[in-house]
Amino acid sequence: MKDIIRIKSLLSTEIEEVLNQQIKKEAQSASIYLAMASWCDRNGFDNSADYFYKQSEEEREHQLKFFKYVLDMGGTAISPEVTNIKIEYNSFREVFEDALEQEVSVTESIKAIASRCYKEQDFVTLEFLNWFFKEQREEEYKARRALELFEVIGEEGTGRWEIDHHIPKISYSSEA
Amino acid sequence: MQVKEVVDNPTFTEVFTTAQGAIYQSDSESCWYIDFAGKLARFDYRCLLKLNKAINSIDIEQKLMDALSPDMEIIFICACDDTYVLTLTQIIHFKELLQGTFVMLELNHIIYNRLYRTAV
Repeated sequence: MKDIIRIKSLLSTEIEEVLNQQIKKEAQSASIYLAMASWCDRNGFDNSADYFYKQSEEEREHQLKFFKYVLDMGGTAISPEVTNIKIEYNSFREVFEDALEQEVSVTESIKAIASRCYKEQDFVTLEFLNWFFKEQREEEYKARRALELFEVIGEEGTGRWEIDHHIPKISYSSEA
Repeated sequence: MQVKEVVDNPTFTEVFTTAQGAIYQSDSESCWYIDFAGKLARFDYRCLLKLNKAINSIDIEQKLMDALSPDMEIIFICACDDTYVLTLTQIIHFKELLQGTFVMLELNHIIYNRLYRTAV
């Protein structure tokens, strides 16, 4: 008897399902960053708005990477529905706190997929996820550094203006 | 007509059978034939997965406890040729049949790997 399921797809049903959940998570991240860009733009933080526009585009690229991988491996990629995106924030600092929380949540989610891959010995997907782990190192670093500016510079006086001007300078250059 | 087509197929293999139904695999057509609820229906790879998901997502316990819930369920799979209208008892039997089938397909996958695909 032919092994039809394996012939048709490299991914197991469970892995395909978690990858589709991740596609949704990345789409949500892209929308959240866009909402953050909107808030920053409305409140006069132009540099931070640009930073979040860029972050939103990156999340969209991550979503497409997962999307195409599922399709390339013979699975069914599902275009997700994204709802309940927060549009108002109480403060400039809260935007960056939420951004870091979002990145932590994405990292944890990808770790959970990798753990599932180990369990099923799906080393192909595991190797695919390596790129995302490296990317998350950068994303978390940038989000953490941005939040640290609030401590280093302080929000008093022209502090927030200063923070906004330092945001585009954050970069991660580790070759490790 | 469908039954005749199946019987004539030389690569037709029984995957799993219960007292209520059976699932057969056709290697030449790369699909499965489900003999259940009085009909024989053909399912390709995607449709079989969608059918399994649809059946497993039915909360039988909740339907049994809810007096207002109808005792019937319409199983409609998008982009598939067949639709099932099943009673709760039939759903339980169908679930059993599909679970057994997927266990057998997984077993076949393991055997196939061991016999033909892996070097060690």
